[in-house]
Amino acid sequence: MTTSRTSPRAIDLRPPHHRIERRAILWWTLQSLALWVPVLAVMTAGYVLWEAARPWLAVALIVAGVLAVISTVVEPWWRYAVHRWEATDEAVYGSSGWLVREWRVAPISRVQTVDAVRGPIEQMLGLSTLRVTTASSKGAIDIVGLDRDVAAEAAERLTTIAQMTPGDAT
Amino acid sequence: MNATPWRRLHSRMIWVDAVQSVVSLMPTGFAVWVVGMEPTLGNMWPVLAIAAFGVLGATADALRWVFTRYRVTEDYVERRTGVFVRRYRSVRRDRIRSVDTEAKLRHRLSGLRVVKIGAGQQSSAGESAFDLDAVHTDDAAALRRELLWGEAPSAPAPAVDAGPAALEPEEKQVLARLRPGWVVYNMFNIWAYLMALGLLWGAYWLGTAVGFDVGGFIEGLVDWEALGWGRSIVVGALVVGAVGAVGLGVNFFTENWNFELARVPGENGTLLRTRQGLFKTREVNRDDTRLRGIQISEPLLWRWMGMADTNVVTTGLDLWSMSQPTTILPRGPIGVARPVAAAVLGVHESPLEVPLARHPRAALRRRMWWATLTAVAVVVLLGWLAANDVVPFAMMWAGVALWPIAVAAAVVAYRALGHAVSGEYLVVRSGLMSRQTTALKRSAVSTVAVRQSLLQRRLGLKTVAAMSAAGWGAYHAPDVPADAAVALASEAAPGLLEPFLVPQTSGARERDMPSRV
Repeated sequence: MTTSRTSPRAIDLRPPHHRIERRAILWWTLQSLALWVPVLAVMTAGYVLWEAARPWLAVALIVAGVLAVISTVVEPWWRYAVHRWEATDEAVYGSSGWLVREWRVAPISRVQTVDAVRGPIEQMLGLSTLRVTTASSKGAIDIVGLDRDVAAEAAERLTTIAQMTPGDAT
Repeated sequence: MNATPWRRLHSRMIWVDAVQSVVSLMPTGFAVWVVGMEPTLGNMWPVLAIAAFGVLGATADALRWVFTRYRVTEDYVERRTGVFVRRYRSVRRDRIRSVDTEAKLRHRLSGLRVVKIGAGQQSSAGESAFDLDAVHTDDAAALRRELLWGEAPSAPAPAVDAGPAALEPEEKQVLARLRPGWVVYNMFNIWAYLMALGLLWGAYWLGTAVGFDVGGFIEGLVDWEALGWGRSIVVGALVVGAVGAVGLGVNFFTENWNFELARVPGENGTLLRTRQGLFKTREVNRDDTRLRGIQISEPLLWRWMGMADTNVVTTGLDLWSMSQPTTILPRGPIGVARPVAAAVLGVHESPLEVPLARHPRAALRRRMWWATLTAVAVVVLLGWLAANDVVPFAMMWAGVALWPIAVAAAVVAYRALGHAVSGEYLVVRSGLMSRQTTALKRSAVSTVAVRQSLLQRRLGLKTVAAMSAAGWGAYHAPDVPADAAVALASEAAPGLLEPFLVPQTSGARERDMPSRV
């Protein structure tokens, strides 16, 4: 029963092996447009039609415009550079994020479900999200921007391994 | 299995309902015939509400009795209920985690108990508890033994006249009992005022109902004119607060009367059992095999008196439940909470008492940044509103005054940070308004996450999170030094990160290019 205070082992996480599909950049861009175009359209309409609100709508419009440009032009490319994933027989490892980066590792022995999820834009582009959930409500790993076939194959493989691992996954 | 007959809930419930109806009509009768109150809706509505509530509730309860059946077969516990909508629930017996008994005052007076069967339902998913409301006390004890230890209900019970205590295999190890001094920790909080308002309104209404001049009585107490407005308000607040505090004190004793935390034998392994209550008794059994750790929270405003709440971190208990099944001690002094927590975990060197590693000064700087940015944002917003004539310019000072408070909060939050790995446990501590120290079994950690924002990257910090199926799901060690974060994450979940680790190449590590596979 020893108390190990932080005597840091000089270790670090290596990045996961696989990159995601390049099409994911387009996916993120389209997603961002789908969100921001209606917002900006409504605000512009308000600006044109409602004169009394112009002084403060102008500020809001500029802020929204800047955010829209960042999330449409910068964020997808940045995310593409960061997002990586890897699935071994013991664990699923993913890195994600842009302004806030995150590295997540979940052991296969605790995996409860493995799904390949596809939203409307993803379907259009032949992409798929691999969703791995564990018994912890906060412990799910989403690996976005995978090729449809790669995700399906990975989901199948992980499900098989998870079923072979004993334990009730808590 | 279909041969097992369906059983009814206990018939005494009908009597209880009848008595409840009569009792709830009594205030109305009292008001009309004894006090001679004029029966108009305007002044009668509180007693009428009590009467309607009581009679309707009793009728609904009686109807529920008529339509409810339950039975215990070899594999299932089943229940049919519902007057208009028939509902059928069944729970597999091997899924049953806990069988708890509960009794409100009316159950206790009539010797009945509510049996709650826990099978890991998740109320967040809309699953309600499986309860039998109500059965006879002896039946409840028999059901408990049958479901938890698999004894047949028809087995001869030789200890019948030895009282209910002798019915259980008692090899209990008592970990804590109520200490009257704890009441001090439960009397002073903001709810005191709500309690006082309720009590005083009740007294006022009762007073006017029996023709007592409440206003005149209060006026006659002190010479209010001489006191002046300011002091009158202070005196009023103090009196109301005192009434509320006494109310909370009484409430504490009725809720926690005979409180006992004990470890008792169960079907597989041991159970952690709490019992408490004067009028309404409650007994909760928690399976020790599902215990994953313990959490002690210390509210900021009461830290000087060492106030602490103690909760277990387990799987399968509902954190949002009103009955707070994870709470294993009433709110009390930290000096009691720590040793009890150590005894519950059954470890020699308690993980909740080990010295924790402090977090770097950069963590303080990050909190300072956020505090300052928040204050600036508020000032800018108020300034902009002032420029548009929405608020006066003087309001900007409120934003400026926010800054020292935010900075103080930043310092408090920084000082709360700490982490350690002690034996089987990962210990993390953080929190501003309530400093929470959590010891989580390392073997219970499933997912591990390391996070870093842009500001954290500049300051050389990372946040480590350990996810678990137990408790709140995720426990964080915020703002660990960046070069020690992965080591901590790796220790939190032994072996999990090993395949993904590389020796640290200081400075150059962000530029590592992954090999394409």
